[in-house]
Amino acid sequence: MSTISDELKQEEAEKVENIDYKMVTFSLAGKDYGIDIMKVKEISKAKRFTYVPNADPYVRGVYNLRGDIISIIDLRIMFNLPAPKREEASFEDMIILRLDDYLIGVIVDSIDKVVGINSETIQPPHPIFGDINIKFIKGVVENEGRLYLILDVEKILGDTRNDEESSAQPQLVKQPVREPEAEQDHAEKTGETDYAFVVETLQTFRNFHVTEYNRNWVRSRFEEWRQQRAKEGAEVQLQEAEDADRFLQPFYSPYSGGFWGNDYCSAVKEILKQLQVQGNAMVWNPGCGAGYETYSLAIILKESFPNSQLKVWAHDNDLLNISTAPNLIFSSADIAEELEDYTVEGKNGLQFNKEIRDAIFFEFHNVLHSNPFPEVDLIVARDILSFQKQDEQYALVQEFADKIKPGGILILGRHEELVSDLFEDISNGMVRAYRKR
Amino acid sequence: MRVEYINPFVEAAFNVLREVLSEEVKRGELYLKSTSQPVLGVAVIVGLTGDVEGRVLFDMKKSVALTIASQMNGEELQTMDDLAKATISELANMITGQAVTKLHELGFKFDLTPPAIITGDNMEVSNSGVEALIVPVELQAGKIEINVAVRERT
Repeated sequence: MSTISDELKQEEAEKVENIDYKMVTFSLAGKDYGIDIMKVKEISKAKRFTYVPNADPYVRGVYNLRGDIISIIDLRIMFNLPAPKREEASFEDMIILRLDDYLIGVIVDSIDKVVGINSETIQPPHPIFGDINIKFIKGVVENEGRLYLILDVEKILGDTRNDEESSAQPQLVKQPVREPEAEQDHAEKTGETDYAFVVETLQTFRNFHVTEYNRNWVRSRFEEWRQQRAKEGAEVQLQEAEDADRFLQPFYSPYSGGFWGNDYCSAVKEILKQLQVQGNAMVWNPGCGAGYETYSLAIILKESFPNSQLKVWAHDNDLLNISTAPNLIFSSADIAEELEDYTVEGKNGLQFNKEIRDAIFFEFHNVLHSNPFPEVDLIVARDILSFQKQDEQYALVQEFADKIKPGGILILGRHEELVSDLFEDISNGMVRAYRKR
Repeated sequence: MRVEYINPFVEAAFNVLREVLSEEVKRGELYLKSTSQPVLGVAVIVGLTGDVEGRVLFDMKKSVALTIASQMNGEELQTMDDLAKATISELANMITGQAVTKLHELGFKFDLTPPAIITGDNMEVSNSGVEALIVPVELQAGKIEINVAVRERT
């Protein structure tokens, strides 16, 4: 027993002794902060900064440091902390930081000293820290009875545009670890130049963005593609839009751009058995195109929930396509028998009956804008995610999660996968579906 | 915005403008917008209620407004006076009125509010929670942007 506690004590002592992290400490509004000393070039006192017009309020101006012109940032203004009143032209404490390849000065209330600690004693920040945005804090450490917040200067003063983008991303849905555009870098690092090139050209030619939602498919398709192209004696890389189309051909869900066949209808019906609808059945169908999918879906819903009032919001941002949707005309050869009961003979061909048409709102709408309708029971968004930019894909999944009622179902494209604690996978052979927990 | 609403507005704008200005009117590419956007200088707002809620905004430069007002009145107007303002408001009223009539024929019930005209520099309009359909119209005098933001009553 005593040996264990001795060991613990010894370990603790070792931890304290093993100083491998030094930081410059300073105070802002009465609290203690630290910055990694490796980032600090020097500390100095300065006054009379040259004002820069039209700069952000926290930029105090520029300063001539022995011939080098450096920008001066006031951390107190940046973090919305109260700054003590100072006399005009009095000296202020300043830390000069070396970031990447430039110098920047930050003004603080007062600089304290250099503190050495063991980096193992740094603890991660708790998400409810108030004063300063959590992403700016590297960690918290205790030293001689004082708590220091270690600031991540790279995040604060580095390229701020990236920061805004990442903070705009949703918090609820599980975030991929990689930053946008990292896909190519990652692939390049692992020596898969061909794969990286394919990922890039898919984006260029067809606006197809590879993320965690479709990566598995792209990977396996790439292997298949490589073998196929080798057999044909052609380049693996996609050289023109047609190649991209050929590559993506197996990606699209069954009956994309046409009415659903009997097999797919029954597969969707199977999934819908797990859906409980009270009163109105509300459905959202973003990326509905010319409406073939929406009509098929509306009929299946009508049959699955005969006692409910059906309301479908069908959206697309392709004006030409969606313009034809409300009065879609087709011939009986195009349509599966299951759907045919709901059609009427019109002047120019077959049309859907009023009951079905009245249930659907076709809207010219960009789903990335705000979606002003109530929560829905079912979302059918087949093959739409992959054609949004990476950060927009996350935003859209978040929007789906927000818009869907608990217990509601989300149907995605056949080769799109969702990994999230919010959803439970209920896919069957043909239909990729998730239920919100 | 529901697909059925788009055409009536576009058609009404072209019919009315062609009629009052007796010149060929060209249409720009329609697009959607949800963020706030600058107003060119003269803006007329007509509110819509009924099956939907929203508004139509006619946005143009002051010089364009003056040219149109002069042409409609058959006299040269130099400043944005009461007559010019009344003329531009009336133009907005005519276009929206015709669009709403067309929509009535299709079975949608819309009501209008009287037009309000707003002039000034450096203005911006925001569509909180609704995206706007922008119909750019090219005239000889310049450009009018018709900005329709409506949503279904839920």
